[in-house]
Amino acid sequence: MPGRARRAALAAVLLCAAAAGRPSLAAPALQDPAAATQIAKLPNGLTVLTLVDPSTPAVSFQMWVRVGSKDEARYTGLAHLFEHMMFRGTDRIPPEAHERMISARGGEVNAFTTDDVTVFHSDVAPDSLPLVIELEAERVAHLKITDEVLSSERQVVLEERRLRTEDSPQGRAFESLLALTFVAHPYRVPTIGWRSDIEAVTAAVCRKFFETYYAPNNIVIAVAGSFDAADVKARIERAFGGLEPVQDIPRNPTKEPEQRGERREVVHMDLRSPILAAAWHAPKTGDPDGPALDVASGVLSGGRSSRLYRRLVYGEQQALAAEGAYWEMQEAGLFYAFAMVRPDGDIDRVERGFFDEIARLRREPVSAAELARAKRQIEVELIARSNTAHALAGRIAGDYVSFGRIRPLEERLAAYRAVTAADVQRVAQTYLIDDARSVVHVIAAPGARERGAPPPQPPGPVGPEIR
Amino acid sequence: MTRRTAAAALGLLVLCACSALGRKPAWEQPPPPVAEGPIVPQQRLHRATLENGLEVLVLEDHRTPRLSVGITLRRGIAVEPLDRAGLASLTTEVMKRGAGSRDALALARAVEDIGASLSADAGWDSTGVGLSGLSGDADTLYALLADVVRRPRFDPAEVARARAETLQSLEQDKDEPEELLSRALDRVLYPDHRYGIPGDGDPRSLAHLDAHALREFHDRLFVPRNAIFHAVGDISADDALARARAAFGDWSGGPVPDPGPAPPAETPTARRIVVVDRPDLVQAQIALAHEGIARTDPDRIQAMLMNTVLGGGGFLSRLMTRARAEQGLTYSIGSGFSMRRHAGPFAVTTFTRVPEVGRVVSLVLEVLEGMKTSPPTEDEFRLAKSYNVGRFVLGFETSAAIAAGLIDLDVYGLPADSLDTYRTRVNATTREELADQARRLLHPERIAIVVVGPAEALRPQLAPFGAVEVVEP
Repeated sequence: MPGRARRAALAAVLLCAAAAGRPSLAAPALQDPAAATQIAKLPNGLTVLTLVDPSTPAVSFQMWVRVGSKDEARYTGLAHLFEHMMFRGTDRIPPEAHERMISARGGEVNAFTTDDVTVFHSDVAPDSLPLVIELEAERVAHLKITDEVLSSERQVVLEERRLRTEDSPQGRAFESLLALTFVAHPYRVPTIGWRSDIEAVTAAVCRKFFETYYAPNNIVIAVAGSFDAADVKARIERAFGGLEPVQDIPRNPTKEPEQRGERREVVHMDLRSPILAAAWHAPKTGDPDGPALDVASGVLSGGRSSRLYRRLVYGEQQALAAEGAYWEMQEAGLFYAFAMVRPDGDIDRVERGFFDEIARLRREPVSAAELARAKRQIEVELIARSNTAHALAGRIAGDYVSFGRIRPLEERLAAYRAVTAADVQRVAQTYLIDDARSVVHVIAAPGARERGAPPPQPPGPVGPEIR
Repeated sequence: MTRRTAAAALGLLVLCACSALGRKPAWEQPPPPVAEGPIVPQQRLHRATLENGLEVLVLEDHRTPRLSVGITLRRGIAVEPLDRAGLASLTTEVMKRGAGSRDALALARAVEDIGASLSADAGWDSTGVGLSGLSGDADTLYALLADVVRRPRFDPAEVARARAETLQSLEQDKDEPEELLSRALDRVLYPDHRYGIPGDGDPRSLAHLDAHALREFHDRLFVPRNAIFHAVGDISADDALARARAAFGDWSGGPVPDPGPAPPAETPTARRIVVVDRPDLVQAQIALAHEGIARTDPDRIQAMLMNTVLGGGGFLSRLMTRARAEQGLTYSIGSGFSMRRHAGPFAVTTFTRVPEVGRVVSLVLEVLEGMKTSPPTEDEFRLAKSYNVGRFVLGFETSAAIAAGLIDLDVYGLPADSLDTYRTRVNATTREELADQARRLLHPERIAIVVVGPAEALRPQLAPFGAVEVVEP
């Protein structure tokens, strides 16, 4: 059956390529919209990436600061809390006025924080770009951090924490999973921070953080969309050129020691639908094993023909959703498992089925049809992704921050095309081992549900903020 | 600190240099005038009507080798009888589980082998089936779309499976405080109308739905006179139309189904306060709501601008300014009209730590009252206009968004040039018209207050606003 479907699909591909005269995936003639990116560096170390695309009515300006929750020395959540503080004004810009001025022109300004970076992004009409540039430079140079503003913003962030983590079964699951999987590396810390740290952080700590990390040599600016490159570069130079670089920006020295044996944790919440979350250590971003791990994700959970959907959701009818995916960060990676168990389902049965599918990846090579399907899904996704100014700016900035260059689309496609069934089996055998996994169950406390109910996504960045 | 001072001094120098040249910071310069004019790229847009009544819309975009095709019906959940709630959602779900010669797994493989994705969803007033993938796979995309739309299998085993999943998923929704809020709110506003039951139905209505009911509903809803075909992406108009004709030209069917009855014009008629009891939550979800306006309301632009000043414009709005920026009471607060064929709800929604709920509710009531007594200032009015006009244009950056906007106009029978005239219509409004809309549309004295959280702690905080009813999730 898989063989026949695959042949039919191949035939369809060939037929279309012939009929429509358009290049099929096999032909490497694809236009990479990011190919025209220009890279410049100011004397103070600020990197400026520009990518002109006159076919869009928008322009996206993104400021990527190389600081995330892994860089917080004492107060967890500081990078994220500070991201909020960046909207609270300078001597010349009152609190929230930055956001108001961009909104008043129909633009969108927002920010998010991950383990590795803090990103401020504005999507505007081209005639608002000069305003965006000057407002960004103003807050990087002159942000005002007072106790009064901090105390109200602290409350806002605590509300965000209650919303995303404390009252959310999925938020709790991933917070616990990271803290269990990483013993030493600061990826164990939730990006939004632990409650008591958010409550305790002071304005002085914020100011020190700002002076340490918000330096031009720690920032990458990316501009994509409809604009005049020379004019914009000159404006950025005028606005940011006067900032002084910081020497010796501290970096996290801690590496995760090898895990020796399975770790487990149970979290109790008032819920009907238990959650299974698990993780294995995997390589950091850019590793040559990354593409094979992505293909393994596709085989496990790429759509309704995938193994986990067919087994846990469709076949055994034990889960509402099940996913296994590679999650790459700058200093380490994870392969995580996530399943939302049906209220009438059995979490132990879901776990057995899930881990059996992981074992199967180690035991036998994936079929040719599954391999081809997973690779094709990834390729289409890569091609489809960069179709807005915002997505393009994010892609070039993200690449530059992680790799110091923009990875050509063709290079990425080639890496996925080269993945073999043996590669998938090898990475499963290397990383997805039982002795190095961490497992979290979020379930109702025994006896907690007395009201007649049945028994009992990985955290992306924190943000996009509601701003 | 010294470094920053140095940087600040340098910044000042740069600034002085600018002033010397007569340059003020960009934020002190007046904003550019609000632009008007068309936004739909007519040269890339092609429309036709087939003999069977099917509307065809093609939007060419050759920048990347992608293609989306789909069928939209101008009817949705709202046509369902109350005792059959969930029919449209379950029908579209099962359409994805087998069509033409393929069973559920074979269909999933056919879609995913080419890296495409298949969607089938029912909204209140429209239903859509779509496939997107690469333009090189146009043959397969068209063939699969025709199969799913015209030849779904409705295998009884798949219906049973999908229904059981829906029931379990409705149960899981109770783990999500925001879901509990929107359900309770709908029940309070529309106790006897389809709008009062979740789109997916409820356990009582779902019990009636079998393969026969789904097939019958499909045949009634999926008729060419009720449908719009679209192709967006890397395909020529001639090719797209010829393929649409081949796939759907011989499609036939009955009349367009009735859109379903209107809800009561006023709801609630008197203040109601409902608490959904979740003793474990540390944060309460809050909504204040009553009836809003229809998508075709002649004053919808003025109403929307008024709402921007009130709570629809983020930090430009009064609600966000008061509750978050000034008092740190919440991470987010907003208001909006759910504009459907008939008037859907107008709602203010937010959340806060449990002990602050009383304070937040009274702040919201005060801002609503203030909106009626203190009309938008000249400044608020100007910002609301430029915000909406600017955001409107940026919202149509992609061809998919433009096509969706045009299809939405067709679904509601609004003029086809509405996207192009939008900015002019916004600029033609007056401040007085916004004030009129606030008086016409906001009714804080009888607004429903719904809160999800621990009843024991919430009851005393809400008692000052009226009698509190407590319900189970």
